[in-house]
Amino acid sequence: MNVVIKMICSIGLRLSRPDILFWILPLMMILLIAGTVAQKSFGVLNSQQIYFSSFYYTIGLIPLPGGISLIGILFVSLLAKFLFKSEWSWRKSGTIISHFGVLILILGGIVTFATSKEGYLTIGEGQTSSAIEDYHERQIVIRAGATSVYEASFESLKPGTVIAPSSLGFQITIDKACYNCSISRRAPKDQDGWTVPGKFMQLNAKDNDPQDEMNLTGIEFHVSGTKNLSDNKYLTFDKFPKPPEIKIGPKSYVVTIERAKRPLPFSITLQSFKRDFYTGTDIAKSYQSYIQVNDNGQKWQALIQMNSPLRYRGFTLYQSSFDMSGEKPFTILAVVENKGRVFPYIATLIIAFGLILHLAIRLKRDRT
Amino acid sequence: MIKLILTFILLCLTFPALAENIPLPLDQFAELPILHDGRLKPLDSFARLELQKFSGKNKNAVAWLAEAIFDPSSAVEKKIFLIESSFSRHSLGLEERQKPLYSYAELVEGLEKTSSMIADLAKIPQKQLKKDQKDLLLVHENAIEFTHLLRSLSSLLPLNITLSKNFRQKANLGKDDSVTFLTLKAISPEIEDRVRTIIKHKGENPAKYSSKERDLVTLGWQYQTIASAGQGNITLRVIPTLQTEDWVSPWELINDGKGSPLTIHWIQDWQKLAKAWQENNRHNWEEVLYGMRERLFYEAPQNYSNAKIELEHLYNQLSPFTVSIFFFAGAMIFGLLRMARFPLSSGFSALFLTIALLIQAGGILTRIYLMGRPPVGTLYESILFVALIAPLVSWMVERKIKNGIGILSGGIAGTFLGLLATSMAGDGDTMKMLGAVLNTQFWLATHVLCITIGYGWCLLTSVLAHIILIGKASGKISQETERNMIESITTNSLFSLLFTTVGTILGGIWADQSWGRFWGWDPKENGALLIVLWLVWLIHGKLAGQLSEKIWIAGMAFLSVIVGVAWVGVNLLGVGLHSYGFIEGVFWGLGMFSALETVILFVLVYILREKRQNSYAN
Repeated sequence: MNVVIKMICSIGLRLSRPDILFWILPLMMILLIAGTVAQKSFGVLNSQQIYFSSFYYTIGLIPLPGGISLIGILFVSLLAKFLFKSEWSWRKSGTIISHFGVLILILGGIVTFATSKEGYLTIGEGQTSSAIEDYHERQIVIRAGATSVYEASFESLKPGTVIAPSSLGFQITIDKACYNCSISRRAPKDQDGWTVPGKFMQLNAKDNDPQDEMNLTGIEFHVSGTKNLSDNKYLTFDKFPKPPEIKIGPKSYVVTIERAKRPLPFSITLQSFKRDFYTGTDIAKSYQSYIQVNDNGQKWQALIQMNSPLRYRGFTLYQSSFDMSGEKPFTILAVVENKGRVFPYIATLIIAFGLILHLAIRLKRDRT
Repeated sequence: MIKLILTFILLCLTFPALAENIPLPLDQFAELPILHDGRLKPLDSFARLELQKFSGKNKNAVAWLAEAIFDPSSAVEKKIFLIESSFSRHSLGLEERQKPLYSYAELVEGLEKTSSMIADLAKIPQKQLKKDQKDLLLVHENAIEFTHLLRSLSSLLPLNITLSKNFRQKANLGKDDSVTFLTLKAISPEIEDRVRTIIKHKGENPAKYSSKERDLVTLGWQYQTIASAGQGNITLRVIPTLQTEDWVSPWELINDGKGSPLTIHWIQDWQKLAKAWQENNRHNWEEVLYGMRERLFYEAPQNYSNAKIELEHLYNQLSPFTVSIFFFAGAMIFGLLRMARFPLSSGFSALFLTIALLIQAGGILTRIYLMGRPPVGTLYESILFVALIAPLVSWMVERKIKNGIGILSGGIAGTFLGLLATSMAGDGDTMKMLGAVLNTQFWLATHVLCITIGYGWCLLTSVLAHIILIGKASGKISQETERNMIESITTNSLFSLLFTTVGTILGGIWADQSWGRFWGWDPKENGALLIVLWLVWLIHGKLAGQLSEKIWIAGMAFLSVIVGVAWVGVNLLGVGLHSYGFIEGVFWGLGMFSALETVILFVLVYILREKRQNSYAN
């Protein structure tokens, strides 16, 4: 037992040595600069994944430790320093408290990284919704009326992929799948076998946009086995207002590409959306969603606006965006679940207190 | 479009004798309120912004504005358009001049000639435009804005039109009353009726008309021309609507039916004011302005504050942040002279720094009062604030080390930051309204102030580190001073760490409140974190003995580059939530500064190393 404790102590003491921090910090600064500059070309999301949410990344051919590795080592080293090498004295109390605050902060980051989920709700004025859409994950959905009969992630779709669930009675073969498509006119010689609007427009794969929200995801496919006129070629894409409908006997199926959805355990009704401008300008002063929360027969009203979200049952709903291009306004509310959100608040107080204490002790010592 | 404007200008009466008269006093006029870019401001501010936009300077802006709105036919001859792009000058067919300033009248032909090119350019996304193309577009945009200004009062100004006795009677015009657009509007139904009848009976060929008929048709055309030229003109929003907090332009009153019995007084006042200006009648001019001020006092809506308008006028005239640069520079020069033991320099440097700080603080407090929000909401404002914080910290340092270096560092920081602020003032409007997400008093007062104080503290620490390095390299610093300064840098680096760390985390908490995530690896967040990591690295590196004192000081001096990159540089990437767009001048400026700092610090460290080796050898 003693041997184990001794071993833990010696590992802890090694980990707490300042040389680890001395090398970790420059590597973190390089990571920060690389990950920030890369956002210009790769976008924020991709850069996050490549640099900050990764174990390693490369600059040219040189592999360097990524965010997870560096923050992990920093956490372990700081924890070891805190436990094994803290000088528990009044003079060092500020430092110890600050270090403890940093540990809490990193811990919060780890909890957030592991548990947070982001998405958004799009609700038209007068409408109710509880479907959280994912910002990034796209999927193919086949519906009969309002019922979903088939769902698969977009990543699983490749040219030649066959979708043939037995309940459908027909099969879909993917001809083209592009995560970011451009739309162009289909040449008359290629229009045979296509239904409108695919007869006149075609999807072309293009480079992904760094801003994931801007990527227009779509597929071209053909249907076989309906034994009727529905054996045709079709196309559909994200937010396509008139997705293709395949008729087989009395039933009809709609094929859509959409953002992955998950349910909110309560629903939100948008009563009205208001956008205020500074008088005589197009500078927005505020965006406000007047909503009603519906939960288990209970209903109440709330206001969500910039810097003033709604927090309820572990979900936080923020005013994120809006769409006023149509007849009625739509509000877009970001929905976040994050079990680690309280950590930064506590950590800030602890770090600030620790640093102020440290400075106060130092200034007092200088005076005396 | 341009032809329509010229028609209106030709219709305006001209006042050739004006230039020889004694100019009218413009102070009261400059303090009339106008709603512009979402904010009620004095005409003085509006005039400065407009003239700055056109000519790059704003001297005598109010007099220029008065001429533009009251006497458009003279204003079009004034050379106010600064066209620096040779591509634009060439495209517009303008002659080359030593100073490329042109009048509107000189531009007109070129504007017509390039209008189809502009229509094509307008279809191209802004990002894909070349600099030359952007410049040409800007000339057109400025010209359009100027034309809006020229005809902003065209509904009220006397016109060069003679009416028949019959029409004068119908319009209730007195013997000496001039014809204005409002006069024509009053009789327009009859004019239109009669023109329709003429066309119905004689067709559209003027050759078939009698001279009377021709005059009438011309009158109808003139009326239509002025009316269409005034469509959508909201430039001069100087008339309060009283019921709401909205202020409208004379053309809005006429076109959108926003008039009321109370607004008619305002229309009449502006008409009288225009007349007094055109006649150069000082008595009437002052009387009308006095009446307008009286009416504002009793009738203006709640968003009008006479005190704010007057204060802003004074603020414009005093230009406190330009004045403070001179005093900061004075503190710097006397601070340097003190290092050379020049007599009286000690007192003067302290005095100059104190005055500069008071002016800087006064300017910032004025802005807080005028804008009704905490002092930092834009990049420009953050520089102004840092230019207050860094010299303030230098005072504290001086109190401790008492050798003049504190004041010298404050003078240096204040001067350079002041110059930086001047270069970052953009299009001149430094009091823009903030977008919705920044429209929060709480976070502007906490996160933004905290992080900006952190920047200021870092920069002062950097200046101190520079001074110590230069002092050591030149051998002009005593060991005691060196020890005191190293102590001071250590303390200041801890304060810098406190404010940048807490500021950064508060930023995260604001992001959590606004966007639902604490940390999104946004460039600005990363920049702030970079400062924190740099400070933590230096502080821990010195404590653990991994960094020599020399490198540690050089690292503290290099904080200027780290802060520059984090504060201004990351915005240039054009991504994330704090993006202000790519500004070429700033990019090169920051690049040069970083390169220069790196070279200077390398050289200083090298000299110190050599000195040390020599001392060992000896």
